[in-house]
Amino acid sequence: MLMVQKLLKISGIGENRLHVAWVSSAEAQRFVDISTDVIASIKAQGRFDAAMFSTELAAAEETLKTEILRWMVGKEVKLLSRGDVYGRKWEKARFESILDSVLEREYHKQLILHAILAGFTSVRAISQKVGLGLKRISYLLADMEKTNMIEFRGHTDCIPVFAAL
Amino acid sequence: MKQTEPKIVAFLCNWCAYAGADLAGVSRLQHPSNMRTVRVMCSGRVDPLFVVQALKSGCDGVLVAG
Repeated sequence: MLMVQKLLKISGIGENRLHVAWVSSAEAQRFVDISTDVIASIKAQGRFDAAMFSTELAAAEETLKTEILRWMVGKEVKLLSRGDVYGRKWEKARFESILDSVLEREYHKQLILHAILAGFTSVRAISQKVGLGLKRISYLLADMEKTNMIEFRGHTDCIPVFAAL
Repeated sequence: MKQTEPKIVAFLCNWCAYAGADLAGVSRLQHPSNMRTVRVMCSGRVDPLFVVQALKSGCDGVLVAG
């Protein structure tokens, strides 16, 4: 869930749209306090316009479905407590920094995919659409090509054109 | 009609937060009523996708409590 908060932050939806809390069955007052805080926080942020964030939400949804993220989250406890197949135990901070970079990468890839589907097929057009640097997009496009998310369709006026698969 | 009250989906664990919320009701503690509760058997049951889908379907915030 903390990962989802990070994703909401990256996507600009706002990490505080999601609250996570621990309440035991005996802590009625604590539940009341938390729910009051959560409602106050959401009220302060105002209504959420899902239509305005439709691309971000769709990309976030696809990101959370990706195998690599599901795999990493599923392996977290094992990697931190028992170690990997080489017997190396992972530091929590190191695991989280890798998870963060994977999360950001997968989200950016989904944004690029949406841009291509929307008809922005050159690196420059994608960059203008999603607001990422040209170098970052070229790097991610190469990655997406390898995993069969997109393909290189040839050149139009010396500009490489990509298509979603 | 423009709705000004925020809609919040709360995923509550049956054994912890849901019982806590129930107790809050039984003890007649006052709290705002913007929550739409979804009772789950464990907060581990809440798939990250639920959060995004909740936001997509027009709610303004999500609370996961275990």
